[in-house]
Amino acid sequence: MFTRSDDKITSSQATVFLTNSILGAGILTLPRVLTNAAETPDVWLSLIIGGCIIFCLIIVMVKLSQQFPGKTVFQYAGSIAGRFLAIFPCLLLIVYFIVIAGFEIRVLAEVTLFFLLEGTPMWAVLIPFIWVSVYLITGGINVISRLFQLILPISLLVLLVSYLMSLRIFEIDNLRPVLGDGLMPVFQGIKSTVLVFSGIEVTMLLVGYMESPKQAVKAMIAGVSIPLIIYLITVVIVIGGMSTDAIMRSTWPTIDLLRSFEVSGLFFERLEFPFLVIWMTQLFCNFSCYFYSASLGISQLFKLRLRVVIFALIPLIYISALIPTRMNEVFEVGDFIGWTGLAMFLLIPLPLSIIWLIRRKGMKINV
Amino acid sequence: MYRLTSICSLLICLTLLSGCWSSKEIEERSVYVGMAIDVAEESAEEKKLNAQGGATPIEPAITATIQIVPVKSVEGGKQGGESNGEVKKYLNNTQTGDSVFEILRAYALRRDRAVIGHHLKVIVISTELAEKVEIENLLDFMLRDNDIRPSCMIFLSRSKAEEALYSNQPDEIPAFHIVDMVRNKFRNNKIMKAMTLTTLDQYMHSKQSYMLQNIAATKGETEFSGAGIIKGSTGKWIGNLDQEDVSSISWIIGESGGGLIKTKNEKGKTIIYEIKSAKSKITPKVKGTDISFHIDIKTEGRLIETWSSDRDSSEMPILLEAQDAFVKKLDESLQTTLNKLQKDYKVDVAGFGKRLRITHPKVWKRVKDDWDEVFSRSKVTYSIDLKITDYGSSAE
Repeated sequence: MFTRSDDKITSSQATVFLTNSILGAGILTLPRVLTNAAETPDVWLSLIIGGCIIFCLIIVMVKLSQQFPGKTVFQYAGSIAGRFLAIFPCLLLIVYFIVIAGFEIRVLAEVTLFFLLEGTPMWAVLIPFIWVSVYLITGGINVISRLFQLILPISLLVLLVSYLMSLRIFEIDNLRPVLGDGLMPVFQGIKSTVLVFSGIEVTMLLVGYMESPKQAVKAMIAGVSIPLIIYLITVVIVIGGMSTDAIMRSTWPTIDLLRSFEVSGLFFERLEFPFLVIWMTQLFCNFSCYFYSASLGISQLFKLRLRVVIFALIPLIYISALIPTRMNEVFEVGDFIGWTGLAMFLLIPLPLSIIWLIRRKGMKINV
Repeated sequence: MYRLTSICSLLICLTLLSGCWSSKEIEERSVYVGMAIDVAEESAEEKKLNAQGGATPIEPAITATIQIVPVKSVEGGKQGGESNGEVKKYLNNTQTGDSVFEILRAYALRRDRAVIGHHLKVIVISTELAEKVEIENLLDFMLRDNDIRPSCMIFLSRSKAEEALYSNQPDEIPAFHIVDMVRNKFRNNKIMKAMTLTTLDQYMHSKQSYMLQNIAATKGETEFSGAGIIKGSTGKWIGNLDQEDVSSISWIIGESGGGLIKTKNEKGKTIIYEIKSAKSKITPKVKGTDISFHIDIKTEGRLIETWSSDRDSSEMPILLEAQDAFVKKLDESLQTTLNKLQKDYKVDVAGFGKRLRITHPKVWKRVKDDWDEVFSRSKVTYSIDLKITDYGSSAE
């Protein structure tokens, strides 16, 4: 079998990796989160503006990482800011990754137990997923990326086919009037749109593994564009199909959209089941992304063997998935992750870039 | 050694991964496909059962009837042998209580196979109950439950809702019968677009008034007969619209895909217009605090039946004369319906508010809380552009 020893990924693999780290549980609740924040059908506009902000953040992170080819943020942060200063934000980033991993797998379990496997205990869903993920990520970034490349097209296809079928209940009037309440609600929605892109910090690891880091900007922008487009389609289709009023009352609006119609004559009469089953593999990829990033961080920061770290993290991730007891708390964790994501950007790439710029200028003067 | 471990792991996988954790056999479940909710009235059996003690003392609020399909195949076979081949494909079971969920769970005390709601397609609510209890409370459980899909359709019934779930056709399941009847909309504009739980949720959240198709039922025969109006501010039933009104509202909304206009020509003979296409556009006009609407209806169709054989219906003057008669008739029925909506019931169920929301969002924001009141005061005008394009394959 063809195996690579150098542990590098191609540009397209990097794109798919980033896409998978963003597209996860967010899509199931996205329409409700956005309409609750803005209370207008114009949230797709907020999404576009939010996407542009994310593009800027990505470019900063890529530019910074490109200065240190072959190194991840955990390795180069020390050489910019000094080992002692760098260790705390890096630790925070690791904890952040663990919390997201726990959150994603918890949402996966909640949705599965509610809609698909009523009566199955939660551990019976969580543990196999964690174990399979361990098996995957011990293979390294190359193996992970290749699996992602296989899964992403399938899950996107199923998602889009499900949306296509839901066009039968789509009503353009639900999306009108455009800008009926002016621009203010659109701006209020931006905050929430930025939050659904949490996880882009993975960029600072990916660039270090790219075969040709020069293409990093293009690859990473593409990696954010795919989820952005999927989010846009989701919001438009779900609002068009259900209207903002019904969305605000639905816990899982995207699933409820698919539950709102039946397709007779097709192989599947009810599309929520194929959708959920396929989306579980997508959530699995999403979870593996963060599991891998967290273990990679620890192993590079403390110079430990990756395999050992991965096994040591299993209980931590399991516990972090089970900490919230109510559904409200699960969603609060989701919000918290979004805010921490923003804080992470302010704590790591931004100061690092500034320090690095100052240092380089200083060096030039010295020379 | 390697061989051994791989064989062992394969065996473990085979034994552990081949089953489904919480699988339940479909043969051991009762699938209910329809539900009728009535004002509480304990059935004779229930009274007898309760008299034997054990029932939780409650102050009953509703009686729910669920329609279970298929009835156990063995049972059905036996019955088929005894009674002359007439086997009912369904079983209606009635239970009284004060919460929908409690009632559904009470079936566990009475039936050997637990009831499941994955295939619930139709909910019929009696107007008598809808007048007393908010629809939102009755349907709250259905919207929360993970089994019941929001694609389920809601209807009202003028008589007891339970009667809508009976059929005198041996092979027919009444709940499916109702669902399939909705599809006949392309033949008759007296049928409304089905109201699913999702759409209903939208009206209940925005507190706007809406109408639900009425079902009339007698001795196993069911018919769509007009609609019941649910007032948005109270969430309760306030009155009925008849079939003609539903047809007029279809004209106003522009969903009159199929149907007819029946009227009499100058000689008093019946003539009938078959709708080929119908479009409408509602244009709101706002002047200060004055809101008015103009409905522009455009339709094309065919002269499909005349009872005056002495006249040549292919001649232009006769066609134009018929055209005027149809316009007059449509005009009359629109006027009657608008009067009912604006004067009698004072509600907007014909989508005027929706139009205003799109064209004048700021005005809408101001008036939406007492929209029904504002609507009943606003002026509605309309213009009808009706064209008979042909007269079928008979020129006489």
